[in-house]
Amino acid sequence: MNNQTIDTAQEMHEEPLLPHETPWEEFVRIFQKDRIAVAGCVILACLFVAAMAGKVLTEWVIVFDTEIVRLPDKFSPPLSFPSDEVVALDIQPTFGVYVFGTDELGRDVFARMLQGAFVSLSIGFIAVGISVFIGILLGGLSGFYGKMKLGFMTVDTLIMRFTDVMLCFPTFFLILTVVALLPPSIYNIMIVIGLTSWMGTARFVRAEFLSLREQDFVIAAQALGIPERRIIFRHMVPNAIAPVLVSATIGVAGAILTESALSFLGFGVQPPYATWGNILSDGKGFIFDAPWLFFIPGFAIFVVVLAFNLVGEGLREALNPKLRSR
Amino acid sequence: MLAFITRNVLQRILLLVIVSIMAHSVIHLAPGEPSQVDPANPRMKPEDIARIRAAFHLDDPLYLQYVYWVKDLYSGELKSFKDNQPVLPKIWGRFLNSLPLFICATLLVWTFAFPTGIHSAIRRGSVYDRSSTFVAYALISLPGFFLSYIMVLWVVEVFGVPVIGMKTFGIEGAQPVFRLMDRIWHLVIPSLMSAILGVAVLSRYVRSQMLEVIGQDYVRTARAKGLEEDTVIYRHALRNGLLPFVTMFGLLLPGLIGGSVIFEQIFAWPGLGRLGYEAILARDFPVILTINFIAAVLTLAGTLLSDILYAVVDPRIRLQ
Amino acid sequence: MTIKRLLLIIPIVLTIVLLQSYFWVPTYENQASGNPNRLVTYIEGSIGDAKILNPILNADGASSAIVSHVFEGLLDLDEDLSLRGRLATDWEITEKAYLLVNLKSRFPDGVVVSGAELLRRIQQGLTQTSFSELGSHLTSLRLLPAHRHETVVSVSIQDNNEKPTIETVEVAINVPERVEFTLDHVDQDLFTRLTPIIGKHYVDHFSHEPYISIPSEVSLEIQSQLKAQYPELLPVTEHNPQIVFDLRKGVTFHDGHEFDAGDVKFTYEAIMDPKNLSPRTSDFEPIKVVEIVDSHTVKVTYKRLYSPAINAWMMHILPEHLLNQQAMNLEMMERELSTEAKKNFGMRDSEFNRHPIGAGRFQFVEWQGDEFIHLQRFDEYWEGPAQYREYYMRIIPDLLTQEMEFLAGAVDYYGAQPHQVARYKDNPAYQSFSSLGFGFTYIGYNNRKPLFADAKIRQALGMAINIDDFLKYLLYGEGERITGPYPQNTEWYDHSITPLPYDPDAALALFEEMGWQRNADGWLEKEGKIFEFNLITNSGNPIRKNVMTIAQNAWKNIGVKCNTQYFEWAIFLKDFVNTGEFDAVVLGWSMNIDPDLYQIWHSSQAGPQQLNFVGYHNPRADDLIVRIRQEYNRARQRELAHQLHALIAEDQPYTFLYSPLSTRVLDKKIVLVDSDEEGNETYGKIYPTKTGDELFYFHRWRKLEFTPNF
Repeated sequence: MNNQTIDTAQEMHEEPLLPHETPWEEFVRIFQKDRIAVAGCVILACLFVAAMAGKVLTEWVIVFDTEIVRLPDKFSPPLSFPSDEVVALDIQPTFGVYVFGTDELGRDVFARMLQGAFVSLSIGFIAVGISVFIGILLGGLSGFYGKMKLGFMTVDTLIMRFTDVMLCFPTFFLILTVVALLPPSIYNIMIVIGLTSWMGTARFVRAEFLSLREQDFVIAAQALGIPERRIIFRHMVPNAIAPVLVSATIGVAGAILTESALSFLGFGVQPPYATWGNILSDGKGFIFDAPWLFFIPGFAIFVVVLAFNLVGEGLREALNPKLRSR
Repeated sequence: MLAFITRNVLQRILLLVIVSIMAHSVIHLAPGEPSQVDPANPRMKPEDIARIRAAFHLDDPLYLQYVYWVKDLYSGELKSFKDNQPVLPKIWGRFLNSLPLFICATLLVWTFAFPTGIHSAIRRGSVYDRSSTFVAYALISLPGFFLSYIMVLWVVEVFGVPVIGMKTFGIEGAQPVFRLMDRIWHLVIPSLMSAILGVAVLSRYVRSQMLEVIGQDYVRTARAKGLEEDTVIYRHALRNGLLPFVTMFGLLLPGLIGGSVIFEQIFAWPGLGRLGYEAILARDFPVILTINFIAAVLTLAGTLLSDILYAVVDPRIRLQ
Repeated sequence: MTIKRLLLIIPIVLTIVLLQSYFWVPTYENQASGNPNRLVTYIEGSIGDAKILNPILNADGASSAIVSHVFEGLLDLDEDLSLRGRLATDWEITEKAYLLVNLKSRFPDGVVVSGAELLRRIQQGLTQTSFSELGSHLTSLRLLPAHRHETVVSVSIQDNNEKPTIETVEVAINVPERVEFTLDHVDQDLFTRLTPIIGKHYVDHFSHEPYISIPSEVSLEIQSQLKAQYPELLPVTEHNPQIVFDLRKGVTFHDGHEFDAGDVKFTYEAIMDPKNLSPRTSDFEPIKVVEIVDSHTVKVTYKRLYSPAINAWMMHILPEHLLNQQAMNLEMMERELSTEAKKNFGMRDSEFNRHPIGAGRFQFVEWQGDEFIHLQRFDEYWEGPAQYREYYMRIIPDLLTQEMEFLAGAVDYYGAQPHQVARYKDNPAYQSFSSLGFGFTYIGYNNRKPLFADAKIRQALGMAINIDDFLKYLLYGEGERITGPYPQNTEWYDHSITPLPYDPDAALALFEEMGWQRNADGWLEKEGKIFEFNLITNSGNPIRKNVMTIAQNAWKNIGVKCNTQYFEWAIFLKDFVNTGEFDAVVLGWSMNIDPDLYQIWHSSQAGPQQLNFVGYHNPRADDLIVRIRQEYNRARQRELAHQLHALIAEDQPYTFLYSPLSTRVLDKKIVLVDSDEEGNETYGKIYPTKTGDELFYFHRWRKLEFTPNF
């Protein structure tokens, strides 16, 4: 971290002496060496494209209709063609072929997977967004203003005790309880996952801030009379963001898995939203009749979560100066 | 030392009270009420429902309900909404059911994670390291229930033996050794499934700990002395690398409750997680709250234990 | 290096120890070899655990399944859905009816009414031929003297916080002279038949005030509430049907105690005891009194005409000696409860609910929560012991793993879904049954909403859905179309009524007839508003979810915009169904054997929290419903029920979708066993009864070592 912080500080003072390589270039160089992580990145890029396309093509400009019921063609295997009956009714799938087969009602699984990609991803991102926001906020408050007194205890004690309280709840059990008791809604799931996973972020943001506070460049900035807000957001947050980024990437993977586990127990996102989790849990009952309903979403979740995890791992390696061997 | 423990215990008790109040409010404020009676029963009258609500204090103010709960929990007479059975013996019974699964899974995690993690660290960057990293991430990324289903299907289809539940039914007349082995067999797959995530995570952790330690000066010194590589790794490095893991014993405790819901559900294992899940479904508030409470107690006890253990094994740390 | 070696050896040893256990576990084929007990053990898989094993308290499927094996009722239903005696050997229904002497009234010829004159006129009238029907089943007629009695009446009022509270008031009633009729069967038209004698307005002209005195200090609100209850407190005409049960002698409970009339009376009292919070009270509410005639005869008197009331005696009978106050006190002492717990201690808290003792075919052995319930056959059962010796209910919360256990032979039965049943249909190793049950699924429209107020709209909506396709593809034929509110396997169902045809064009034509036109987007529009509504159901039921999707899709095709939503059960009921704040719901009813539809279809039952939540209102239907529940003659009841069925089918307050078949897959090795006197056994194929109950012959089931050929 040292290199980086000094670089940033230098940059701030617009010193003419630039290093050979900016931190970004260094990061890219290291990251690129990690081929698995790069592969993960490529997968994620494809996923983003698919998710955006899914949103656009299934909801705005309906190219892939997720809702057409074709009972005569229920449980058609992947890459099969619609039957005459369906062709006659003019409710054929896009491209005239069931790419991923059809489900119990004869709906096109490919279209549903596309739609689900966006929903699954947005659950991951929004949940993690909430958790990162709360984590940085509380961690930062506690790290920067920790010594301030609030009645009989300091801000730091208050926030850290609260973090301890939250850590006392068995997370999945808590999520399950809340999701089961609240009306089922996609937002509730996002919020609940977000609200129960910020503790780690808060803890290491606090630790990072505590150590940054003592760093020379922060002390120097304070001496120069730079406003606190600017110190926090321009100087400290960027330096503390690296580990947050890593944990957020892995957090998205975790959130997608949590959603699928909730779906499995019947508390996931409710129709009409298709998510990979609920396609999978609906499909599990038909594992003998239509195995693709189980394996396609299951495998998709696996690949995407794996990609997030590997990218997260790659980021960690690339951002961790201790492990930079050369 | 004693002062440290007393202060920590007191702090934790305070935390516990706050946690239980929070849990209580969250559960009671959420919409949805205990489904004591089948609402689809056309003969059920509103008066009957009102009587049932009154019997469970559901119309009292929130703080009073909390007081009732604490009082009943303390006197051991807390009753489940669902079947009027005392809650504590019920939880204890389920705890005993969960225990073998938990122990078996923990054994698997710890015995497998160390060798794989250490090997990865020693051969950092080798094919073994890369592939074990990849496999570890793959295992972390698999939805547990997805893998479990595949496993159950495979075992039943290929081997034709039952895997669900705590034992095979209908073999009560068989010899004791058969029944014992049958019980062990029923442990194997669920504990393997719940151990997989642990093995993957822990082995990564072991690897990074070992890497850190291997880079330390004293390891270099040991090597410089001309000690055998195995001695360096397993005697000098491993011992120090192990330190943080001692504390993890404490943190294992809460895992008894939280992580097991899905596996207990799939494998029809009548453990604590299932109890909690069924209670959530039935909105059996006393059971949900008590399980939550016990989980919090376990977590707090676990962190306390790990703090103390850390101080015991690491002479550099002094408790104040 | 020991550590290095240990690190390798420990996991290997652990793996070997764990995996070798596989070789000890029996596979499906050899489960019975070396373990002949498996053949006389029946293992049933259940999704949920039982809650409470007490027949008067349980309300869930798993508990009822166990309870029905452990306990026995006075009556049950035979193969043809007629009542059959179990703990009762015989029963007789008679009636006592009362007519108040209304001194303020006059006879049609102007003579003032008096008790003696009324009796004389009735006696005289009975000799005439026009009263021959009445006369033939009248066994006695007498005049009862006036008397005074005091009673406690409870009224529900709103207190200061607008919370309903129950107040009790002591009321004194001066009952005037009454004529008592004793009839050998129930006649709901008794008093109508007497009209020529007593005059048309005899009942209306009765004023209650002079006969009832209430304490003067009660508030006006209570007074008015009480007045509303006067006709009930002192009815001018009163029907009191009576049933006398002869009980079976020599029947014992599983603990050896003999069953007698006291147990019947105790069971009734336990149900009615408010402390027990029994969900069955409403079934027994019409009972006025249960009297013990002798140790094996019970007489039940009812407050009013209510023909389905006898069905309540299928209720399983509790052993009095284990649950009466004395037994409860003993249990409290043994459990060393605190004083407060003792104060609230009731039958619900008793250990009996987890260790039930009844008089049924199987006796209870053990219950491990969320794991299994173990029963064993009762060898002293009065009809002879069952073939199976052991009965297990295993709790496996997941359908797929249930099926895996079934395939591995560790479960003999599980509640297979239609698509699962379809797979076993052609498999020679299994047998499967599909039979009609008592349930049906429907789409209910909120009849109060202007959108659905017209029956034609409801018909059109029903005609747009292709229900036959739904049954064919999604239920694999495991469902029957249904046209009205009765279960198809009962005689109340009129099979001559044809279901709505699937005809989207005709549906569209009906909409156009009502002024709805398709707009540019394809939606039906009238006066600038499109036809749009929310269809809701509870979450967690995959078949209802499919119904929703199919209906939504079908309606979209004719231009009806339907939004679907799912809610968790408790919320679904509380926020939508109970308050009536919904457009349309997908739900199902599980009906009863009796033809009484009062609670679901009578217009008086359309309030909040009542079951006619769709707000169906038709005076003709109301009248029929009341007549059906008061009719004791089965043939006439059937006729009325058919009329009601036709009426509701025409009104279409629901779109009646289908009645799911109950399905069961069993190993073919399980057969019906018949043995003659010499102990020779013959085996037959299991078959379901008309009600769809394969378990009717469960006591004759057994598993064979080989797969029989039939």
